[in-house]
Amino acid sequence: MNEILFDLCAALALITALAVVFTKRTQYAALFFVSHLMAIAAIYALLNAPVLAALQVMVYAGAVMVVFVFAIMILDADELEKLMPAQEGKTFIVAGVLGLALIGAFFGFSNHFDVTHALAPAAAANATLLSVDNMASLARVLYRDYLFPFEMTGVLLLVAVVGIMVMAKRKLD
Amino acid sequence: MLNIDLSLTLATLIFCIGATGVLVRRDPLVMFICIEMMFNAANLALVALANHFGRIEGQVMVFLVIAVAAAEVAVGLAIIIAIFRTEKDVDVDTISTMKG
Repeated sequence: MNEILFDLCAALALITALAVVFTKRTQYAALFFVSHLMAIAAIYALLNAPVLAALQVMVYAGAVMVVFVFAIMILDADELEKLMPAQEGKTFIVAGVLGLALIGAFFGFSNHFDVTHALAPAAAANATLLSVDNMASLARVLYRDYLFPFEMTGVLLLVAVVGIMVMAKRKLD
Repeated sequence: MLNIDLSLTLATLIFCIGATGVLVRRDPLVMFICIEMMFNAANLALVALANHFGRIEGQVMVFLVIAVAAAEVAVGLAIIIAIFRTEKDVDVDTISTMKG
């Protein structure tokens, strides 16, 4: 059952990812990306990470994409398309070949670095620890062992907010 | 238990699609979305490996990456809008204001 769900979500994620790249209009790319994020969130849930699935939907598909759609509105996507020079077929082909080469390189190298079998897979007890109380175990590790990085993300968000304010308030000349 | 190789293959493919998107598209907003897609592929790999090894640390990492990505999106879009307002141009090949 889980395998079928995983395959469905994986197929959806791949199709929507390709749609983001190859759709003509910016708004559609944003909408396809939202469905891509939803499919990834479902995969997180299947991989014993329900908290991250919820976060993905709220923070990424919610907050981040709202900012994106706002930016598309402000920049006026139709006006953007007029400004954009016509896409040349040559760049398309070169980029496609580069993308395929990248995929090939990844799978070629993955034979040299056998990450997944270098360490023993999860003991059964550990796996249940992951799934039964995901929120509690995530919070325990995050606020105990990784407290400093967590605080630093807070500082980073503060700096980002101040930086955006400075950029938005500056006189344009 | 789900097959780890399948998840990592999916993450690799999504990363490559994102990288190709950055190369193919000229629209800065779509390029930015493709960069986010690459972030997501890395997150997916982390979650899959966390599940495989039964350790929660990978999920903690994803939590932090999502926070950093949110900050990055806000700053990046602010920069794109600021450039558009001053230059009236969004062709990534001709914008050279930030060359330093």
